[in-house]
Amino acid sequence: MKRALTAFALTSALGWAVPALAADTAEVGKPAPDFKLKDEAGKEHSLSQYKGKLVVLEWTNPGCPFVQRHYGANTMETTLKGYDATKVVWLAVDSTSDNTADKSAAWKKTEGFSYPVLLDTDGKVGHAYSAKTTPHMYVIDEKGVLRYAGAIDDDPRGKKDTDVNYVKTALDALTTGKAVPTVTSEPYGCTVKYKS
Amino acid sequence: MTRQWRAMWAGVLLWACGAVAWAEVPASAVRSGALDEGEPRLEAALLVDATQVKPGDPFRVGVRFRMDPDWHIYWKNPGDSGLSTEVSWDTPGTTVGALRWPFPSTFRTPDGFITTHGYQKEVVLFAEAQASAQVQGALTLSAAVDALVCAERCIPAEMVLSRSVPVGPETLRDAAATASFDVFQAQVPLEGESAGHTASLTLDAPALQAGQPFTGTLTVAARDGQPPPGVEADFFVPERLAGIARVALTQEAPGRFRLEGKAEPGAAAGQAPRLKGVLRLGTAQAGFRPMELDLAMAPLEAAPPGAVAAAPAPSFAGPGPGGAALPPVAAPAESSLSLGLALLFAFLGGAILNLMPCVFPVLALKAYGFTRLVQEDRRHVGAHALAYTGGIVGTMGVLAAVVLAVRAGGAQVGWGFQFQEPLFVAAVSAVVVAFALNLFGVYQLGADGTALAGKVDASRGLARSAGEGMLAVVLATPCSAPLLGTAVGFAFAAGPLTVVATFVALGLGLALPFCALVMVPGLARRLPKPGAWMEVGKQFLGFALLGTTVWLLWVMGGLAGVDGMARLLAFLVAVALGAWLYGQSQSTEGTWRWVGRGVALVVLLGIGGVALRFEEASGRRASSVTEAQPWEETAVAAALKAGQPVFIDFTADWCLTCKFNERTVLAREDVRAAFAQHQVAFFVADWTRRDARISARLAAHGRAGVPMYLVISPSAPDRPEVLPELLTQELVIQAVERAAGRRTDAT
Repeated sequence: MKRALTAFALTSALGWAVPALAADTAEVGKPAPDFKLKDEAGKEHSLSQYKGKLVVLEWTNPGCPFVQRHYGANTMETTLKGYDATKVVWLAVDSTSDNTADKSAAWKKTEGFSYPVLLDTDGKVGHAYSAKTTPHMYVIDEKGVLRYAGAIDDDPRGKKDTDVNYVKTALDALTTGKAVPTVTSEPYGCTVKYKS
Repeated sequence: MTRQWRAMWAGVLLWACGAVAWAEVPASAVRSGALDEGEPRLEAALLVDATQVKPGDPFRVGVRFRMDPDWHIYWKNPGDSGLSTEVSWDTPGTTVGALRWPFPSTFRTPDGFITTHGYQKEVVLFAEAQASAQVQGALTLSAAVDALVCAERCIPAEMVLSRSVPVGPETLRDAAATASFDVFQAQVPLEGESAGHTASLTLDAPALQAGQPFTGTLTVAARDGQPPPGVEADFFVPERLAGIARVALTQEAPGRFRLEGKAEPGAAAGQAPRLKGVLRLGTAQAGFRPMELDLAMAPLEAAPPGAVAAAPAPSFAGPGPGGAALPPVAAPAESSLSLGLALLFAFLGGAILNLMPCVFPVLALKAYGFTRLVQEDRRHVGAHALAYTGGIVGTMGVLAAVVLAVRAGGAQVGWGFQFQEPLFVAAVSAVVVAFALNLFGVYQLGADGTALAGKVDASRGLARSAGEGMLAVVLATPCSAPLLGTAVGFAFAAGPLTVVATFVALGLGLALPFCALVMVPGLARRLPKPGAWMEVGKQFLGFALLGTTVWLLWVMGGLAGVDGMARLLAFLVAVALGAWLYGQSQSTEGTWRWVGRGVALVVLLGIGGVALRFEEASGRRASSVTEAQPWEETAVAAALKAGQPVFIDFTADWCLTCKFNERTVLAREDVRAAFAQHQVAFFVADWTRRDARISARLAAHGRAGVPMYLVISPSAPDRPEVLPELLTQELVIQAVERAAGRRTDAT
């Protein structure tokens, strides 16, 4: 018994290291988890295929009032505009469990945006990124390292006259080789409707 | 404001105009908001606890929210998603204090992934108010409410509530409203002093590091000396804490709580986060005592340089079912275990391996060899120790080479992997039986018939010591020891040189205790002198080795069924016959001698060739622990969703440490009772035969072999706890209790 306890004491020191290195979730400053997902048109996208470009991931759900507000105000398209399309990739990800390619295609048509909507109906990628809200934004640099995770802006209620768009500040910093000023923020919005 | 947004508000207002007022509050103080398919989900009313107010007297003003079943609004920290409820006052001539928040409920998605805090059914958010002396006629009180009401869906609600209260010579209380305020005031957390308790926090480390976990102890002491009452589920709800990614409390004893958290990866150095939130002591039966917590934690230190650069590169996995694919878990990070530390662990793990049951037969042999050796002169003793070490390290080198070769072939291997191969088990059995027969004196090892037993021949003895070293390694591999799993796991995930270095370190560790022992001067005099008893002792030890074959046969049974066991037995009989013929040949001369050896070889090869054809047995053998289910990720996920803690036993028939743990710990009454009490879902991942999924899962936790024990809490499915290789009952019960208890955490 004593031997076992000593052995336990020795290994418990390790016990801390083991869960820490088993992290399978996205963390700012670390390589973002890779994924392969099909978009609304059936085309496959992986994070690794966009190496060398900045990638913005936007967790979305057309049924969420927060997403509706931002799409009504064209927040995402306005943010993307102004960047070199060969250097910045925008991917919307929908982890809503009952979503279908047709629903995403119809929504894309109604809202008239250009980027693909990736279908993550089993929620695996959403869980790997710890995506909790819609919208929930991630900015990944050319090397695949996650540089920003959080809200689209500092205006959860949509009431401010001038808000800070965190994704835009991150993209501006990364395209000009500066440090990202705000690397995390509290995301706001509806809960991601994962499969349960 | 957007189109949709505006349309929604218009709908809300239209509906509100036709709203039916509650009896005790005027119509202007009631609104319904948050329409879902035309139905309102939320009704709000402006409550005042007085029907007439005297200037200067305090009174309470608040908003009562009533939600449809299953719908909720949010606390000041909504949690992972949602939006806090806002009440802004417009009360000319009246000062209104800070908003009081009753203790919130905690909501979780079924998979425990998303946690939010808020209120269901009914709540009153209120404030203390006081009219100035100049006010005349009536007070005008207005509250602008901005709330998000959610069930599966979320609907925003914005409304303005207002009413007037006459000013008079005395304050007249409204009994119904006062009662309503009192109910919710009792749930508002008090500051430490008025709560009758004081709280103090001790962190285990002097500083926090960005992105790193931290732990500490929170102690709550009652002023009256009575131990604070116990707690119930979701007793702690943190506020949003700058610099802190997550924080949770679990009760260890009445008044003592374990704090576990993680600093935000991007947190700036120099920041000093505080532990802020609300703690609810007590039980539903004895009554609750919510109290505010606001305690200093520790300053944040900058992350060590290079921490980011050393992070593991993401591994790219092929597409899985559903089109999505993710690396199951990141590869073990080199950053957390340096090569030097890994080698030290390998060395210590090797030394500890000597205490594991699988090396016992070899130890018995060594004990015998020991009495023989210490009688010899020091030079010989040193040579034997070197030969034994050489045998061990050499075999470890071969093992490392095999590991690398198999890995180069693209297959997954792990510690003890060779026992997944029936032919290997057969070979080990043959070696063990041959060794035993040698001890019985059936034949002499490497010496001609003229050699006499008992006559110490130095060169022969050296070969024997080396052979014993080889046997020690072969028999040790199905065992794991503390530290070993981590070291080997590290090596298997690293480059070829690291693998070789780790195995060599392991071998040196394994050899160390014996070498150290024989080198102790003066021991010889304390031991019995060599003599006839040694021959008896030697033969007796032969049976210890035969005992090992019983276990090997059982392993074979798991790999290749009853037929496989029979085939192995037939082969072992051939080995025995071959050894006996060889022994006979040693005592003859000339032609007969070579004929005898030839016949021995033919018997061995003939029977071996016929017997050694193993077919994989159908069906897996159940673990020795009952109520176990085979490990399936989907079943684990289902159990976690159902709120059950999960225990996964990664085991193999050939793993003696696993079997030892199963018999002495996992199958014991106390442990079974704890499992039953906490409704633990018990899974067995059987690695007796190759299984890439299990190999991958082991690698995900930095392990290359079994045993591995994972305890997963339903509230933290992404943070399994890895138990040490050697279990104790207390250890398992505590881990299970933690996992069950974590259900009540509020992260």
